[in-house]
Amino acid sequence: MTAAIIVGMLAAGGTYLILQRGIVRMALGFVLLGHAATTLLVASGGVARRAVPFIGAEGDLADPLPQAFALTAIVISFGITAFLLTLAFHGRDVLGHDDVEASVDEVPPIDRDAQEGGR
Amino acid sequence: MLTVAVAVVFGLASATPLLVRAFGRNAGYLGAAVLAGTGGWLAVAGGPVLAGEAVVSRFDWVAAAGLSVALRMDALGLLFALIVLGIGAIVLAYAARYFAAGDVRIGRYLTLLTAFAGAMLGLVLADDVLLLFVFWELTSVTSFFLIGGLGEGRQGALRAFLTTALGGLALLGAAVLLSVVTGTSSLTEILSSAPALADAGVTPVIIVLLLLAAGTKSAQLPFHFWLPGAMVAPTPVSTYLHAATMVKAGIYLLLRFTPLFAGNAGWQLPLVLGGLATAVFGAVVALRRTDLKALLAYSTVSQLGLLVGLIGIGTPLAIAAAALHTLAHALFKATLFMTVGIVDHETGTRDLRELGGLRRTLPTTALAAGLAALSMSGLPPLLGFVSKEEAFASFVELGDPAWLGATAGLLAVLASIGTFAYSARFYLRTFEGPERTHPHAAPIGFVAPALVTAAAGLGLGLVVPRLDALVNAVSRDVTGTSADLHLALWHGLELPLVMSFVVVAVGGTLVSLRERVERGQALFRGPSGERAFDRTYAAVLAFGARIGRSASSDAPPAYLLPVVAVVLVVGVGLTSRLDLGALGDPAPWLASDWAVVVLLAACIAGVVQARSRLAAVATLGLTGFTVAGWFVLLGAPDLALTQLLVETLTMALVVVVFRRLPTSFARGGRPRKVTAGVIAVGVGTVAGLATYAFTGRRGISEVGQRFLNEGEGLTGGSNVVNTILVDFRALDTLGEITVVVAAATAIVALVRFSEERAVPPPDGSADVDGIERWDGIGMIDSPILRTANLFLAPLMIVVSLWLLVRGHDAVGGGFIGGLTAGATVVLLYFSRGHQRIWQSRWLRALLFTGGGLLIALAYGLGGLVLTGTFLDGAKLVLPFGLEVAGSLMFDIGVYGVVIGMVVAILRHLGQGIVEEPPNPERTGLGARRDGEIVAPQAVTTPSGPATELRP
Repeated sequence: MTAAIIVGMLAAGGTYLILQRGIVRMALGFVLLGHAATTLLVASGGVARRAVPFIGAEGDLADPLPQAFALTAIVISFGITAFLLTLAFHGRDVLGHDDVEASVDEVPPIDRDAQEGGR
Repeated sequence: MLTVAVAVVFGLASATPLLVRAFGRNAGYLGAAVLAGTGGWLAVAGGPVLAGEAVVSRFDWVAAAGLSVALRMDALGLLFALIVLGIGAIVLAYAARYFAAGDVRIGRYLTLLTAFAGAMLGLVLADDVLLLFVFWELTSVTSFFLIGGLGEGRQGALRAFLTTALGGLALLGAAVLLSVVTGTSSLTEILSSAPALADAGVTPVIIVLLLLAAGTKSAQLPFHFWLPGAMVAPTPVSTYLHAATMVKAGIYLLLRFTPLFAGNAGWQLPLVLGGLATAVFGAVVALRRTDLKALLAYSTVSQLGLLVGLIGIGTPLAIAAAALHTLAHALFKATLFMTVGIVDHETGTRDLRELGGLRRTLPTTALAAGLAALSMSGLPPLLGFVSKEEAFASFVELGDPAWLGATAGLLAVLASIGTFAYSARFYLRTFEGPERTHPHAAPIGFVAPALVTAAAGLGLGLVVPRLDALVNAVSRDVTGTSADLHLALWHGLELPLVMSFVVVAVGGTLVSLRERVERGQALFRGPSGERAFDRTYAAVLAFGARIGRSASSDAPPAYLLPVVAVVLVVGVGLTSRLDLGALGDPAPWLASDWAVVVLLAACIAGVVQARSRLAAVATLGLTGFTVAGWFVLLGAPDLALTQLLVETLTMALVVVVFRRLPTSFARGGRPRKVTAGVIAVGVGTVAGLATYAFTGRRGISEVGQRFLNEGEGLTGGSNVVNTILVDFRALDTLGEITVVVAAATAIVALVRFSEERAVPPPDGSADVDGIERWDGIGMIDSPILRTANLFLAPLMIVVSLWLLVRGHDAVGGGFIGGLTAGATVVLLYFSRGHQRIWQSRWLRALLFTGGGLLIALAYGLGGLVLTGTFLDGAKLVLPFGLEVAGSLMFDIGVYGVVIGMVVAILRHLGQGIVEEPPNPERTGLGARRDGEIVAPQAVTTPSGPATELRP
């Protein structure tokens, strides 16, 4: 049950943040969702067996497979976070803000051509 | 052989930029020689083709999909291949003088023209409908760039491209349907399965699609409008694409598929009536155009219509006539376009109303144009006369249905009257009468190509019996029966000759009354296909915009909402119907777990509520650390350590990036908060319930147990998680580090190659002002930190290597070691500043990520070579009795990739904002750049909006 509560809280927090304005808060939301995903992965291996899965260790060894999945998931979500923040950074340079909804109301160039051509 | 021919042309295209660099515009002559040589080779080697033996060559392309590059040349293919290569050679030679020496466009146009020739050659030789489609599209794409040129013709290029692309889609549809119905994509086999198609219900659909494809490509009503619009292209392009070859692709397609549908009224009627209506329409419009190129464009539309009509008739005689007229038209129309290019070039205009009397200054041009105009108007002894006679003959000979033949004959005579009139108008208004301009004389090299094609039209007319074999072979390939035609200038006084007399008589009258005809025509306005096209196009775009708005990337909540809502509804719906008892006992928990739950609840509430970036970052970090604690409780030390390191690096990254972002977040309105809150709580509940219901209700997984039991024996490592990463599931890990490399590369690309460069290049080529602004940015100016760095950094590197090496047997491995080393770089960044990392020669993101990925791949390939299995690890025995798992090499790759990721972030995001540089005396930076550090001109507070990032 504790595992379920932890996953649920992280998912709720992440969802709330990605629904906000501003790509930075979204990036934070994705970090939380990433946590939710890794904790869910680990939970899928079961939380009853909690001994470190090393060969030769004592006790009920935890399932190593979900742990391996979660490990790479952590690194990948780090990469994705970095990329999202780069977008925020870049948006800041180009647009002067990071509020994605307050941006571009621009007609694509091909559209403009068609309008001119129609005249 | 055919493959070689196509490859030679494409090879020439790719070599053209180099040739142009070496020989300037004369590279056009080289290209012309190659194309002519290839054409001559095909003509010689294609001898058996005339006897009915096709030349075939093929090699497998995508064997799994049954795709092969199958080429086949029969007489029809040979005819078109010769036109493509012959006119191609002429046009390249013409282009070599059309463009001024040193014109920057020459390389671009020569390359594209040659590439187009290759595509067109492939198109007429393809023996696979899918390959045919690929080449078809290739001609559309190259023609788009040829018309679009350097931006002057975008509108026309766009119309041409979209219209022909519509036809391309239709062709794809037809190709797919044909393949499905006949069970093969081979053109030869499809063409021999006419009975199967006759029974199939989709045959009418295939016919419509093919007609659409050919009609758009060959500019038939109502798709004719793109061709005059494409006349913005330079004249060599118009000559090649819009007179001789590309517009003939539709003709080729119709000829090619005639065996399947000949005799089908749904094929014949649209072709004959539509084609000849286009012929009359084009001729009438051409009569009133004053722009020479537009006149020729409409004339092409008209001539193509005549060809389409002939194909619709479909008798051996009609097909032979179509083949002959295709050749004749390619010759005279290419000549006419080239002479227009010369006229335009030497007088500066191509408006009929401003031209006249050019025969005196441009005698050779007038000669070429005169011969071509005679051929076009169908006068003996030129080739155009013979082909027109044969066309008339095939119309009047059509007995079934007779009314169709009669109608077609009548329409053809009308179109030919128009043709006669506009041919005369073209020549007389340009080259005869009073001189209105002051033209320059044209160099002979410029006129020579036009003279060649004009002479060919005359010469072939004189020796026209020589063409018997070719046109008869084409008619046999297409209809199965040879037309047995004996071409001659004089057939005796028969109906076709009478029709020609009528044409000349009426046409001549029209010419003599041309003033009145032109005035009368001004009263009449035809429908504008362009306007209809533009309106449709705008409507399609508007429709797309309306559809696209719901997924617009500038409003993520709007498109995330439906996704999240669906997950919510489906999740609640499924979980509520579950019988939990049947799933097994729920996962147990320990009392200590609740500490994590409470701590996490507080942290998440903090992140969600945070108004300032600092609070958000701090609580986010705490959340990550708490999650790491949870992993410790669950017996996953590798995971916990990774999480800790990643969290630390994320903090550093966010601190680095957030300095450039507002101190506080934009506030959403109350409704947004409430909606987001409701959805978030729903998602959280579903996620929690699902986790509760579906996880932890069973023992260890079978695979996991196997890894625990056999892992050490198989891999020699006792850290099972690490052996999974680098041995059992190494391919997965390889994919994952590739994702990391991609993310790092994207970061570099976004920042580095953006136009909005915020950082001067490291070579110091930027202005001094730029450099001084970036000095020392990102530094915490503290002697303690610097001293700590001095001692800590080497130690941390050693520790990271130790973590890397021991990873196979204990907590550690490539990811953890790499993150530790990354932390060292972060420390360096904070103590010595961005500049230190920026100027470092080896702290390069792509060096580490690329190098790491290459090492991992090399390990994988090593396994492939040594044991035959990709990523197969082995134990290496080193000197001194040491044993090392081969997968350590893979882990080293991972190590490098992770470091590269961190370096990418620091190098390219770490340059910060305009702020006062640290005191050079204290940081030691002054020693390196002494005297250069001047007080910055614009100083803002670190947290303020970045007002002036660029000079």
